[in-house]
Amino acid sequence: MKKRLLALLLAGTMVVSLAACGGKGNEDQKDPSPTPTTAAQPTEGTKQPEATPEPTPTPVPVDTMKFSGPPTISGDVTERIPVASDVFVEQVSASGEKLEIGVYGGKLNLMGSSSSWNASRPILESIIHYNTDGTYYANVIKEFSHSDDYKVWTFKLREGMKWSDGAPFTADDIVFWYEQCHLTNFDTKKSWTALYTPDADGNPVYATLTKVNDYEVTWTFASPKYPADFIENGDFKWCWAPKHYLEDLIPQSVYSGSTLSDEQALANAQAKGLSYATVKDMGKAVAYYFWNVPGIPTLNSYVLSTKAGVNDVKGSLCIFDRNAYFWKVDAQGQQLPYCDEIDFIMTSAVGQEQLMFLSGELDMIEVGMQDISTMLTNAGSKAYLRTFSSTNWGSYQVTFNYTCKDEKLAALFANKDFRQAMSISVDRTQVSGLLSDGFLEPGQACPGEGNFGYDADWETKWTTYDVATAKKLLEGCGLVMGSDGFYDFADGTDLVINFYAYVDSTADSAYPVLEQYWKAAGIKTAYKGDYALDAFDQEIDNNTWYAVIIPHTAIGGLSLRSRVAPFVPIAQAAEWYGEYGTYYGTNGANGVKPTGAMADLVTLYEQWNSTPDTEARDEIALKIYDIHKENLWTIAYLKAAGNYNLVSSAIHNWSDNLVSDDLYQYGNIVHYWTLFKK
Amino acid sequence: MEENVKKEELMQDHNPKKPFWEAVKDFFKKDLVQYIVKRVLMFIPTLFLISILVFFVIQLPPGDYVSAHIAALATEGEYVDADYAAELRAEYGLDQPVVTQYIKWIKDIIWTPTDSQFYRLYGSHHNWKYSFAYGKNVWDVVEERLGLTIAVTAIIMIFQYAVSLPIAIYSSTHQYSVGDYAASVIGFLGTAIPNFILAIVLMFLAYKWTGNANVGLFTQEMMQNGIHLYNFGDFMKRMIIPIIVIGTSGTCGIIRSVRAQMLDEIGQQYTLTARAKGVSEGKIIMKYCFRAAINPTVSGLGGILSSLFSGSTVTAMVLNMQIQGPVLFKALQSQDMYLAGAIVMVQAVLVVIGILFSDIVLAFLDPRIRYSGGGR
Repeated sequence: MKKRLLALLLAGTMVVSLAACGGKGNEDQKDPSPTPTTAAQPTEGTKQPEATPEPTPTPVPVDTMKFSGPPTISGDVTERIPVASDVFVEQVSASGEKLEIGVYGGKLNLMGSSSSWNASRPILESIIHYNTDGTYYANVIKEFSHSDDYKVWTFKLREGMKWSDGAPFTADDIVFWYEQCHLTNFDTKKSWTALYTPDADGNPVYATLTKVNDYEVTWTFASPKYPADFIENGDFKWCWAPKHYLEDLIPQSVYSGSTLSDEQALANAQAKGLSYATVKDMGKAVAYYFWNVPGIPTLNSYVLSTKAGVNDVKGSLCIFDRNAYFWKVDAQGQQLPYCDEIDFIMTSAVGQEQLMFLSGELDMIEVGMQDISTMLTNAGSKAYLRTFSSTNWGSYQVTFNYTCKDEKLAALFANKDFRQAMSISVDRTQVSGLLSDGFLEPGQACPGEGNFGYDADWETKWTTYDVATAKKLLEGCGLVMGSDGFYDFADGTDLVINFYAYVDSTADSAYPVLEQYWKAAGIKTAYKGDYALDAFDQEIDNNTWYAVIIPHTAIGGLSLRSRVAPFVPIAQAAEWYGEYGTYYGTNGANGVKPTGAMADLVTLYEQWNSTPDTEARDEIALKIYDIHKENLWTIAYLKAAGNYNLVSSAIHNWSDNLVSDDLYQYGNIVHYWTLFKK
Repeated sequence: MEENVKKEELMQDHNPKKPFWEAVKDFFKKDLVQYIVKRVLMFIPTLFLISILVFFVIQLPPGDYVSAHIAALATEGEYVDADYAAELRAEYGLDQPVVTQYIKWIKDIIWTPTDSQFYRLYGSHHNWKYSFAYGKNVWDVVEERLGLTIAVTAIIMIFQYAVSLPIAIYSSTHQYSVGDYAASVIGFLGTAIPNFILAIVLMFLAYKWTGNANVGLFTQEMMQNGIHLYNFGDFMKRMIIPIIVIGTSGTCGIIRSVRAQMLDEIGQQYTLTARAKGVSEGKIIMKYCFRAAINPTVSGLGGILSSLFSGSTVTAMVLNMQIQGPVLFKALQSQDMYLAGAIVMVQAVLVVIGILFSDIVLAFLDPRIRYSGGGR
């Protein structure tokens, strides 16, 4: 079973070739005039589609396509979708598999969760969508383009596109979002970097948004805004809000153009059935987590029901109904989505979802690696396994505070030999058995196989268990063995490495295992777990921490394109660069100025950020990776775990070989609106 | 003649054949009103102390709602900085000293003035504050599950008493019989097996035998359309496991305690005397022994109101029952302090009321308590 699962894991690992990235994006365009990226549909990628149960009919060209809609919705479907030339035709999955033509009806029964993002994964529609190979295409907007100097970006919208309540979606909704929701911080997300460029002092200069006509807007920046930090920026997922619905919820305290008091705005919300204690709560709910709020029109495939009792995302049953105005169709012109609704069913204890899946009450569940075999055996032909590859750089990471106030410790941590000793003093094979039942293979903190930047040497660097060498390395660092069997500093003071861990991380189980190996190599450690995130943030702010096991902002991820902060010290974010990040994040006002390889990372990042060409950017990114490979500021002990899903056999169009990443909005890459039940 | 009258009066005093309602009236006339008033007055300091305890105990774990919330966001891939956390704290008043927070909390619950924004928006003088985790007024969250919680718990309790009392009487009157042993074995098993284990086993068996684990009280259809006559059968089917799991453990406890008390009473002199005087066995058991034996059970009624409000937390979670207990658990877990505080506070009030209620019933049931001025 183990071999089978490992094979599945490997087979499921994506070819995230960022070198190929940009095939659909306009950043590769070199024409002098603004060059649009049209409403490009994802094309079939390099992967061959799996054999489908029935032959897939040949797609009909859009101009001759006869549109149809679900039989449960009356009226002419063409009145509900954009004009034929602007309608989005969904033909292949994110991994390039050709989609079956589906049938209407039924409901998708998914696991509920009290998290704010849970319901968004199957339904949310963003500016662009990524394929698993890293290419992307215009999604909600019809196309995007930029001027030669990258200072002006143009978004064109889909003519005839409508909100889920039937109101037209126009440029006004983008202007409303930007001016009244975002720049006012009503959505609490003004911290996004996508919409400003820094001035000479590093202060943000926000873009000017101009409505050209009902279906076109331009963003004008003070200095060049390259794709990596704009259209590809992982934070910049959407930029619209239904003006016709939200306008009377914005008080003067938020937007000077409004005449409403806070209380009037809250009362207006109450009249819409929305109850909030403060304007800030309301803003975050209606302008950011809007999919969780009943009544708010959206552009998503499914919309939260307005029926009381089943429209609380934290409730026992939460229903999202089909958006009758959804703007995507299948290759035969059938309006998507196929299913009538998505039902999120909340469970309250681990294991219930497995029984409910086996009973047929749930159509998809996530399973831990230890349960896969049992569940597949019990489900028989009623289910199939789908694995999302992970983009994490290994499991059970540890890292150190290279800028810690204790100079002796800082010097020790900075010594590569010390890190090597910490790495090779642990028997990864045994750790795998103890912590993952042998499921996860030994590995290092590096990109996983199939991911951008994968390097087999890196994966095995400092992974050979060798206590004797570890001791020699430690002695080479100037440590001396004390009478208690643990190494001390040369001046005789005790060496104790205090590991911190966050609450709810898996560090509580990992530390006792790792500690035994470190102890055997003469390294004395201590542990303080259950750190609340912001409490640890304070430790970071005060620079009073030493080492962390299972960091909060771990190194790694899909690529710099997904999130930069995990890879380079540019913010007060990841533990592995400590105060070096603060230095850059505060324009040198605070923190410790990076030197050597750390400084090289920043230099390379600045080059990367100002390089519009995708291939050139990827080359720079690889140089950054090389520095990480050389230094291994973070050590991982096992390879990264994937996400495992059991899917009911009745569900069709659930592609294999998907990748779970924040940039792809995790489960959103399944494209739930194309799923159907038969 | 006078002697005869005195004898008659004396006999009347001990004559138990007074109509029930007359007895109730008499009972209330005596000193009960005074007793109740006194107890209600004692509520105020009691509840005040409880509220302090509740508020401060909820604050004990490290961190607060904001830290729990940020950690939850982090697991979803959303990262927030320390400034945002500070902003949130200021907004929710969590940056204030705990005493200040407490005073504001309790003041708003007792009376929110008419000129407050809360009153103008919600028309209530009792502001239980905002549940951070649910994004709603606390009382809305509590109310959502209140009806169901009371209904479910009431059904289970009725089951418990309806089943356990006859069995306890049977066991005590047939001591060491096969039936008694059987009841004892079931009783011990029911008490010994943790509810959540029994729940898991029963759900698994239900799945194995019927293909449906009956997780939760409602089917999807019921949650969507409510319970009606056509799906009531399905609902009752789903009640079987909760009733067995929660009901059995409670039932076993009652059987054991009533049986033991009954055996005591059956061995008492007055029972022997009644039997010697030819009083029927049924009357001896039901009218005298049972009435005395039920006292400990009645004194335990104080917790019933509170249980009705919260339900059985752990079992409810295992069975995915949509009742109050799991809400409290989650509130405590996420440090949603106003919600947790409200639930615990209401529970405390109900316990206090329940104890008063059980004292009154006890005093009514047991003349010894009444005549000795019990409880005063």
